[in-house]
Amino acid sequence: MKLSRVVLVALVSLGISACTKKEDKKFANYVREALKTNIKGLDPVVSGDLYSSTVMAQIFGTLTQYSYLERPTKVVPYQADGMPQISKDGLTYTFKIKKGVLFHDDACFSNGKGRELEAEDFIYSFKRLADPAWQSDGFWIFEDKIKGFTAWRNEASKAGKADYSKPVPGLEAVDKHTLKISLEKPYPQLLYVLTMSPAMVVPRECVEKYGKDFQNHPVGTGPYKFQSWTRNSQIVLERHPGYMEEYYPTVGEPQDQANGLLADAGKRLPLNDGVIFTEIVEDQPRWLSFRKGEFDYLEIPKDYFDGAVVSDDLTAEYKNAGVSLSKTVGTDITFVSFNMDDPVVGGLGGKGKYLRQALSTAYNTEETIKKFYNGRAVSAQGPIPPGLGGYDPNRVNPFKQHNIEKAKELLKKAGYTEATAPEIHIDLPNGVTYRQFGEYYQQLFNTIGVKAKVQLHTWPEFQDKHKKRKSQVFSMAWGADYPDAENFLQLFYGKNASPGPNNSNFNHPEFNKLFEKAAVMQDGPARNAIYNKMVDIVIDETPWIFGVHRKDYYLTHGWFKNYKRNGIILNYSKYYRVDQEAKDKLKKKL
Amino acid sequence: MLTYIARRILYVIPILFGVTLITFVLFNLVGGNPVYQKLGKHGSEAEIQLLSKELGLDRPLHEQYLFFLKQCVTLDFGRSWSSNQKITDMLSNGIGASLSLTVPAFTISVLLSILIALGAAFFRGTIIDRGLVVFCLAGMSISMLVYIIFFQYMFSFRLGVFPITGYDPSLAGRWTYLILPMIIWIVVSLGSDILLYRTIMLDEIFQDYVRTARAKGLSEKVVMLKHVLKNAMIPIITNIVLEIPFLYTGSLLLEAFFGIPGLGGMTVQALYNSDFPVIKAMTFIGSMLYVFFNLVSDVAYAIVDPRIKLE
Repeated sequence: MKLSRVVLVALVSLGISACTKKEDKKFANYVREALKTNIKGLDPVVSGDLYSSTVMAQIFGTLTQYSYLERPTKVVPYQADGMPQISKDGLTYTFKIKKGVLFHDDACFSNGKGRELEAEDFIYSFKRLADPAWQSDGFWIFEDKIKGFTAWRNEASKAGKADYSKPVPGLEAVDKHTLKISLEKPYPQLLYVLTMSPAMVVPRECVEKYGKDFQNHPVGTGPYKFQSWTRNSQIVLERHPGYMEEYYPTVGEPQDQANGLLADAGKRLPLNDGVIFTEIVEDQPRWLSFRKGEFDYLEIPKDYFDGAVVSDDLTAEYKNAGVSLSKTVGTDITFVSFNMDDPVVGGLGGKGKYLRQALSTAYNTEETIKKFYNGRAVSAQGPIPPGLGGYDPNRVNPFKQHNIEKAKELLKKAGYTEATAPEIHIDLPNGVTYRQFGEYYQQLFNTIGVKAKVQLHTWPEFQDKHKKRKSQVFSMAWGADYPDAENFLQLFYGKNASPGPNNSNFNHPEFNKLFEKAAVMQDGPARNAIYNKMVDIVIDETPWIFGVHRKDYYLTHGWFKNYKRNGIILNYSKYYRVDQEAKDKLKKKL
Repeated sequence: MLTYIARRILYVIPILFGVTLITFVLFNLVGGNPVYQKLGKHGSEAEIQLLSKELGLDRPLHEQYLFFLKQCVTLDFGRSWSSNQKITDMLSNGIGASLSLTVPAFTISVLLSILIALGAAFFRGTIIDRGLVVFCLAGMSISMLVYIIFFQYMFSFRLGVFPITGYDPSLAGRWTYLILPMIIWIVVSLGSDILLYRTIMLDEIFQDYVRTARAKGLSEKVVMLKHVLKNAMIPIITNIVLEIPFLYTGSLLLEAFFGIPGLGGMTVQALYNSDFPVIKAMTFIGSMLYVFFNLVSDVAYAIVDPRIKLE
């Protein structure tokens, strides 16, 4: 009996091991990445969440992309042939499109062979964002920006059907390979948003063939062709044999050479044969799979951090297994937001302002970083994260230095004593961590006599509350869509108040004026000076308690080359190289 | 019996009507605004209004409810608001994965627990029986999450006997990935099932007809298998049949940890995203299955126990 059991276990193990080896061989030289949430779809107009965008960035092409190695990252041409010609008034961008860029082969093309990319493809793809039938979440990137874009959408909505033969005045195909974009007003962020997923180019014939199921048959001009997708499980992409000529960058940061990141400089992309994305929502299987070598790299899950990193360095166990640690400060911010419409915590100047300053001063960021982020964060002194133009590394927010005495003084200025301090209501999403955060806020604010009631909600309820301006205080985070401080400062612009993205409903006349002025200015010292003034106003009024900028800690296996993390660059897979020989050796040790 | 079945089927109409009404009211009260979910973080006032119109959320509530009823009658719930996928495709993709895990695991756990419960009843009062009760109580006191974390770490990661996570949609390939989650399902179910079935069997063991059977000189084996087990089957069948409708939703935890793309994870994701079409479909189909299997359990009574007449 005992023997038969042993034999059974051995057979099962052998069977599994045989399957794994066969799969390893089939997908040799493929990049393997874990996604920590299930993706929604693979259609650029409707699947704008981060993880869907990540997968799509490997399949579809855009006019522009970010430089892979240089920091701060900058926009470089992708499927555009050079940077666009920009008119002096900043209202017209003329793009030459690279010749010979091919869509992936697919049955939707007349002969099954992917045809050449043309300017009209971009016009069609952008119009889809404005077609109400697609219910796109990416319309905002061109809303009131491209001439006639919003009007085209409104007309389509009135008519009940979009007419693609009707032109959008701001989108013109000058010839087969020239696209002219005309703007309502200067839009310095245009080159950034053109790198994003809603701006990815799709072939009209394929969208028309597959309709709403195009998301299951994505066809693009990117380095990888869609191969298969088991929903909520795994997406397999294979190298696009007809991918355009593109080469690994030859320029990077000074330390890139020493870090081996320029070893493949000048080589034809992609440097691997495909990518496998595996969707795993739970931390344990994701972590254990990485440790077994099933994934090439992984962000360290919170609960496993202390086992892998001690004193900000990898433990010997991991180092010996050939694993490396990569650290970067993310372009995001966490914050506790006050509803500026609220009679107690809201209002510009006066009592509300002092109360908000008092609560911000009572907030202990350093302790928060230790308790909730395993030390993986830096204190935010203002709304702009490091690495973006307008970020001032020397800025010290006077209301962000944990000081109970000063907080009590500010509370007094607000007209309260510890005994008469008001009760506040904090809304948070459901979850163990948020519950812990809630308890911590209660404890912190109680140190100056402010009692906080915490209410946890399902995410839809939570969102409903602050979008309808019913929350008094709530906690959130914002990640950069593009590397421009405008993306963070627009969260305080009066016209963006709820249900728009400015959920604190901050509406400061001077701030609004400065925002409108900076919004049409190109990047540079003059614009950064205005950004600084805007940050001064926000710090003084404190519509947010600025939390932290989170640090990313990623582990990579020894066989995985050219990994350089930046949260904004999504079309990264083509740069990665898998040293298959080293992988076969190292994996045996895991 | 046919009249009874026909009448019960008619009762289904008001029950399902009630389910749809409660689902609709609850979603509108606490479900949040799906438009916010769909537009993400950048939705402007104008976009919100436009999308509300596209989704039909600007129509009067009674019209929206009537549309829901129409969907229930035609069993066409349209597309997911979150992923734009056809709900019929989502269901057909997910149900295979869910049932591949739950049906074999459920069948094995039921058979095993009946057998073990019968053994416990046979050895009632002995050290074997008492040990088994303690073991079952301890087993059912531990959360499924603990079993998953331990089994996955030990058997997949440390010993490498099973894959850590993953799924192969082909019928032949999927079992490699399902063995460990099935084992966990069985281990978790055994404790409570054995205790329940043991109690049912012990209730029967002290009945007069069992004493009579023994007095007739029947062997204990015959008494247990032919008399006790047969009579204990009525409550056991009720329990089994009422658990069947839940098999189609799979197991959220097992699916999440082992990467099985079943309906459990899909439903939770739908709740999280205010994806009302998916919620409607899952609730309605779940209710239909529950009502149907209730009827099956009543009919099964009559088949197992000739004394029961369905009128």
